[in-house]
Amino acid sequence: MIQSKNFYRRLVSGIDSWLIFSVVVLAFISFAAIYSVGSNCGMSFKYLLIQLLAFIMGFFWLVLIANFNYQHYKYLDKFIYILSFMLLTSVLIFGSTRRGTKGWFDFGFISFQPVEIAKIMFILSLASFLDKKSKEIDKISFLVSVFAMLVLHVALIMMQPDFSSTLSYFPVTLVLLFIIGVKPFYLFCIVIFASVTVGVPLLETFLNMQLKFSQNKMFLTHFIISLKTGWVGVYAVGMILFLIIVGWYFLWKLKIKIAITYPYVLCISILLGCLSSLVVGKTLKDYQRKRLVVFLNPKADLRGSGYNIIQSKITIGSGKFIGKGLKKGSQTQLGFLPERHTDFIFSVIAEEGGWVVAQITLFFYFFFVWRAFVIARDARDRYGSLVATGLAIMFMFYIVINISMVMGMMPAAGVPLPLLSYGGSSVFSSLCAIGILCSVSMRKHTHCSD
Amino acid sequence: MVWQKENKFSYEIFIKKYKTVFVIFVLLFVCLSMRLFYLQIIKGDRYRKISDQQRMHNTYERAPRGIIYSEDNTALVENKFIFVILFYPFKQGQVPSDKNIKEMNKILKKDIRSMIDMSYKYGKVVKLADNLSLEEMFKIREKKFNLEGISVLRESRRVYCYPEVTSHIAGYIGEIGANEIEELLKHGYKMGDYIGRGGIEQTYDKYLRGKDGGWQVEMNAMGRQIKEFKYIQSEIGASVYSTINLKLQKVAYEALRNSSTGRGAVVVLDAKTGAVKTLVSCPGFDANKAGSKDFNRYLEDKKLSLFNRALQALYPPGSVFKIITFAAAAEVMGTNPEETVQCNGNFKLGDRNYSCWCKQGHGKVNLFSAMVQSCNVYFYRLGLKLGVKNLKKYAKKFHLGQKMGIDLPNEKKGFVPNPEWKKSKLKTRWLHGDTVILSIGQGALWVTPLQMACMISAVANKGVCRKPYIVDWVASSNGGKIYSHKLDFEEQIILSDRTWDLLHKALLEVVESGTGIRSKIAGIKIAGKTGTAQNPQGDNHAWFVSYAPADNPKIAIAVIIENGGGGGYNAVPVGRKIYEAYFNMKSEESLKQ
Repeated sequence: MIQSKNFYRRLVSGIDSWLIFSVVVLAFISFAAIYSVGSNCGMSFKYLLIQLLAFIMGFFWLVLIANFNYQHYKYLDKFIYILSFMLLTSVLIFGSTRRGTKGWFDFGFISFQPVEIAKIMFILSLASFLDKKSKEIDKISFLVSVFAMLVLHVALIMMQPDFSSTLSYFPVTLVLLFIIGVKPFYLFCIVIFASVTVGVPLLETFLNMQLKFSQNKMFLTHFIISLKTGWVGVYAVGMILFLIIVGWYFLWKLKIKIAITYPYVLCISILLGCLSSLVVGKTLKDYQRKRLVVFLNPKADLRGSGYNIIQSKITIGSGKFIGKGLKKGSQTQLGFLPERHTDFIFSVIAEEGGWVVAQITLFFYFFFVWRAFVIARDARDRYGSLVATGLAIMFMFYIVINISMVMGMMPAAGVPLPLLSYGGSSVFSSLCAIGILCSVSMRKHTHCSD
Repeated sequence: MVWQKENKFSYEIFIKKYKTVFVIFVLLFVCLSMRLFYLQIIKGDRYRKISDQQRMHNTYERAPRGIIYSEDNTALVENKFIFVILFYPFKQGQVPSDKNIKEMNKILKKDIRSMIDMSYKYGKVVKLADNLSLEEMFKIREKKFNLEGISVLRESRRVYCYPEVTSHIAGYIGEIGANEIEELLKHGYKMGDYIGRGGIEQTYDKYLRGKDGGWQVEMNAMGRQIKEFKYIQSEIGASVYSTINLKLQKVAYEALRNSSTGRGAVVVLDAKTGAVKTLVSCPGFDANKAGSKDFNRYLEDKKLSLFNRALQALYPPGSVFKIITFAAAAEVMGTNPEETVQCNGNFKLGDRNYSCWCKQGHGKVNLFSAMVQSCNVYFYRLGLKLGVKNLKKYAKKFHLGQKMGIDLPNEKKGFVPNPEWKKSKLKTRWLHGDTVILSIGQGALWVTPLQMACMISAVANKGVCRKPYIVDWVASSNGGKIYSHKLDFEEQIILSDRTWDLLHKALLEVVESGTGIRSKIAGIKIAGKTGTAQNPQGDNHAWFVSYAPADNPKIAIAVIIENGGGGGYNAVPVGRKIYEAYFNMKSEESLKQ
């Protein structure tokens, strides 16, 4: 009897109770919102039950993972990475398609989205890699291998195609590199490279779409046609490179000494970006490009995403100070708000609970991410800090992207709100990630050297 | 603090970068909070309004318009109620059974299935049948289909009791057009509303239109009606009590229609108050047909049935204008009524010849006999002596060239020519010849029949002008007076008593022994003036303006028969019939029989 009591006590001892507290509060907010949304679809308890089940299962795993020493992941990094790779490949082969995305394993009674778990696995293996190679951070080979890891994952997810799920990879990787001590300039070059790679084909698609709408604008039409037929684009790139070199030269003359490597690396990254953009441009299919453009600029598709954002803003705003009351939100209950139990659940909370509840929710999110950051600060070793930072950035990114999207500050990205949005895989993987955070916090340093 | 198996230095680097990331994190959440505050607290009211707007919809039930009464409280325009069948899918959420639909089809003699299906699909109220007969209505009522969302309702239709006779007074109603809706939205009209066109329907539209009732319903994003909030009973519009004397109106319309051309106008004013007792424009139209194909016929009609000649048509006044020339001469020059002038049938001015209507000439005429015989030559001389300035001044005094301000729409103001106008518009000098023809009411002088009626009424009252009006008072649906006409517009045309006496004597003589003798009725003293206005486009217009009784004027009449020929032969008998009707006398013709 006493033994088993001790066992349970040990199971949760040293767990970050504030973190768990905020998660529980968010879980209850989620239940209320999902119950309210479900009640008008005639399936008041179906959604709620699934969400409840996901939370219970998730908490069970949370405790399990928390009690597993996170330091083991460090030595299992290759295995974890290969496992995630296999998961993502097999979903492309065996997965089922929903809303045009082949990203689900369907087991009949339950379905599962492997991307959610793969993200966490990626963070674990990336942190391990960074920790092991922390002495070589200035080498090109280090950066190249990090990005090879990243690109492999992203490419597999893009093949589903699921653009929004790839979004969190970039900030997590960049922040981890930054925090381990890679020079910000290199990160800047990487960003430039990536944006040129993706930007050029996107711009081309966008201009093509514009061309159809504006046939009377002679200048624009000529410009686009000349861009497409060739040399103007090359001139433009040459011009930019020239300006960089000239600018550097003037700064040098003004006694602002910047090493020659900087403009050199910048130019190379732009050129490489152009080259890879040609490759990307060739491989991207037409419908994929259009999806990307609409994803970035919802106004290009006013009936779809644009309508959603407008309705979401109305929904949030109409909640005013104290809200319309549970199950009384007209925007939610009458179906004006789309995707109300998944991506736009924050709007439901803001409408029915008003500013008070929405601000409380926001505060608990803040508190939650803050605890994750604190765990990263207090971790026992560098690996723990990196893992916790990575997870904190992932959560923060999702929260900020989703909430700013529903409030009309961002294009419609289609990312779920962790813990609140309805969805078994999302809730389950979030709780697993929190389990890892707990594991780090339970083993925080017990000693101070010096 | 330091990491296990690492040196102190690497942890410090980490903490430095960590702080930067942490600050960015805090800033991001502050941004989100601020945006949330902005949307919900600052813009909250606006968004709440939008969200209410997109879920609330109104299904209207048109209110019956108010009733228009004549002077003796006979309804000129009223409503009749017809029965319609409505189907509202939101009440029961189920469609009528096949058997019942078949039965309905049998009663209504048309297939309603597709209408019910559409209505159910889109969740909208639909009108299954219009204008039911009583028999059909009772059959449907007794079947109790209303349990399945079908109900029989009353709807009002506008009925014009005296089509053609009162057509221009009452006007008609029509649906608001797309081009005017924007302006009218501000005044509480909505798309699909009916609005008055012409006549009292137009000027008193704001009183006549009732308050629409209907259902306020909540709709979901698919446009389906979810629930009914409330039903508002429609409220009938206010009743308008006009000053129209229906008997005179009928007589005047009949007389005009049987006149030489059947086109023309009559205006009868109450000489004391300015109340319009009769206002006829012939031919009239049938306002009951408004909105139907038949009505378009009027738009193409060469006789211009929709045109209210009494206020909108401009005619030269012809000899009727001699009243003004007479008054001006008596007032300004103090013309001696005994002074005679020789009329040879024409009048030479420079190299132009101006003739009198009587080719042989009237011989020796003085002011009286010239008026009684309507001698042009005498008035040519008088006009030349007076000059255009005086003629214009007196024309303006009698409100020519100005709107009378009657409460009917589209009144024209007419025109009085003057030298400045001729110079700027026609680029020629004002000649004496222009003054000569102006003095007998020709030239570019344009008046409406209403203006002539007001002029003669002012003469009858020794210069007291009243604003003509057609609506006396308006009573709201619960009986309270919400508008009543006030006799405030009073303007005195100041002329000496001598002038008035001379004028009255002359006008009385016109009917007693002059050109207006055809309206002479035993026992009633009528004073008036005929006119035969030359019309460059066609036959002469026949005028007759008069008032009676001469010693205590009660009514003032203006009659014009378009292209009717001589005033004395054609217009005067119309006036006579009106007097007979007014003074309740049988005409001499019927006495003879």
